Amino acid sequence: MKERPFNLVAAVSLCAIVTTAQAQGTDPLGVGRRMLTEDNPGELWIDKGKQLFHEKRGPKNASLEQCDFGVGPGKLEGASAQLPRYFPDTDKVQDLESRLLTCMVELQGFKREDVVKRAISPGGSSGSDMEALALYITSRSNGMKMNVSLGHQKEYDMYKAGEYLFFRRAGQTDFACVQCHGEANKRIRLQDLIHMTSKKGVQEVVSTWPAYRGAHYVVRTMQWRLYDCFWQMRLPELKYASDTSIALTTYLHYQGNGAVIKVPGFKR
Amino acid sequence: MQKAWLKWTLLGVPALIAAGCATAPDEATTRQIAEKMVREDFTAPAPALLKRLEQDRSQQICSKIAGAKLTQEEAAEVVKLARASIKYPASGKLVGDWKIGDKLAHDGAGDRIQGGRLEKRKQNGGLCQNCHGLAPGEINVGNVGPSLTGYGVQRGNSEAIAKLTYERIYNAWAYAPCSNMPRLGATGHLTPEQITHMVAYLIDPQSPINKR
Amino acid sequence: MAEPMKIRATLQGDVADVRILMMHPMETGQRKDSKGQVVPLHFIKNVVVTHNGKVVLDAQWSQAVSRNPFLGVRVKGAKAGDKIGVTWTDNKGDKRTDEVTVAAPS
Repeated sequence: MKERPFNLVAAVSLCAIVTTAQAQGTDPLGVGRRMLTEDNPGELWIDKGKQLFHEKRGPKNASLEQCDFGVGPGKLEGASAQLPRYFPDTDKVQDLESRLLTCMVELQGFKREDVVKRAISPGGSSGSDMEALALYITSRSNGMKMNVSLGHQKEYDMYKAGEYLFFRRAGQTDFACVQCHGEANKRIRLQDLIHMTSKKGVQEVVSTWPAYRGAHYVVRTMQWRLYDCFWQMRLPELKYASDTSIALTTYLHYQGNGAVIKVPGFKR
Repeated sequence: MQKAWLKWTLLGVPALIAAGCATAPDEATTRQIAEKMVREDFTAPAPALLKRLEQDRSQQICSKIAGAKLTQEEAAEVVKLARASIKYPASGKLVGDWKIGDKLAHDGAGDRIQGGRLEKRKQNGGLCQNCHGLAPGEINVGNVGPSLTGYGVQRGNSEAIAKLTYERIYNAWAYAPCSNMPRLGATGHLTPEQITHMVAYLIDPQSPINKR
Repeated sequence: MAEPMKIRATLQGDVADVRILMMHPMETGQRKDSKGQVVPLHFIKNVVVTHNGKVVLDAQWSQAVSRNPFLGVRVKGAKAGDKIGVTWTDNKGDKRTDEVTVAAPS
């Protein structure tokens, strides 16, 4: 008996939202999505990432303040907007996560296998250090435009390899990325698929990762997203920070140049 | 004079590279670089599962980059290979039980690899709901492929339709070379028997998909 | 072990639009972990919001509220520079308090 007024209030409120949305000609699910992006729990990890960046950690008891993300040691503003890029010290093209891995190993003395093992946290956990760091560093490019260049030969090679891989069909599903992400207004069940062969679509991709994954209650990164796609495609497991992952990221980020970075994104 | 020219040229080359003088790699180089990545960047609980990454001839043809067009000859070759791949169930009966087909059509699980383990169940799901509309009124359905609502209503349930439907599910590329649809039977994701149940689900007048 | 909240308070006329993000597992006590063991009940049971030290909201929550909860509150009679304080207490006795200043509309 006591519960009925509450339910009525809830029902009236829901009706109000739906009616308002419809009256305004907007999609009620869209209203909900907008509310989630305005107050995104993922933001809670930005401060965590900042803390981890400055904290002395690992066997070498060092912070990441000397880590060079391409614009100078410790310089974070605008750094992730230019990633992936070529790094002379490793003679490789690296994305943000592989670069963090390099620094955590070289500067802090962590074992590579250990960092990789915990890089993707279990859903419902308090998240991994890699996820918080990747979010924090990317957030230091918020408001800036994606600006990847292919000036170095290895960058160009990486970009072309990523393009090749984007269209490479394999496995019992005969899927390449393009099968799901090559057309506008497509969805799998009720999950909208970003149209990545359009400028608008690919710009949305590159500007919204890392993102809070609602169903997992943690921040997820591009490395995780690529891994998860290959999982659904019934293909073997993509290695963390592999060249394949960096090639695909280079391809998408270059295509998405000009996108205004705004992280954390919010995904279902 | 010549020495100065040589000196300035040698200085100039690194300057040009530093200035961003990268050139587009040719197709063969890109393929070589990318295929090496495919060979090295994946793990699986058994070596046989790594073979999933190897492309067959049709997949190679159908991996057109950035909207490149399929030629007539390539399309014909894919169709020919697809037709040749079609296997029918031992019983010869192409129409199974629509109730089983209904379950399969809504099942998106099976055969995925995670954390060093293969997701093995009694049978693989049909994955249909991921991409296709099914029974009228279901909202949790994808639209990557055309809606299958009313499939049997539109086509009837003759032997010819049963055979066509079976073949399209077994290997869609026999009819639409390089279609986005997986070659579910030919790649082994589904068994011929499973496909007969899906045929029934699509064409049986009693199936929910044909409810008006 | 309580993680800091993220609080924004912006003025709209004389109403402070306060938005609070909290990091908390909010375990229902019904979930089983990968080993089949029940994950124990662990949730925020009380949230207090203060305006310049005066309590304006005192909420009793249950495990029905989801993980990493969000709370939106509109506080009447606010001015730029006012202090908004938020305190949560959970069923294990863990507590967290954070405070922000009401920002003038930009």
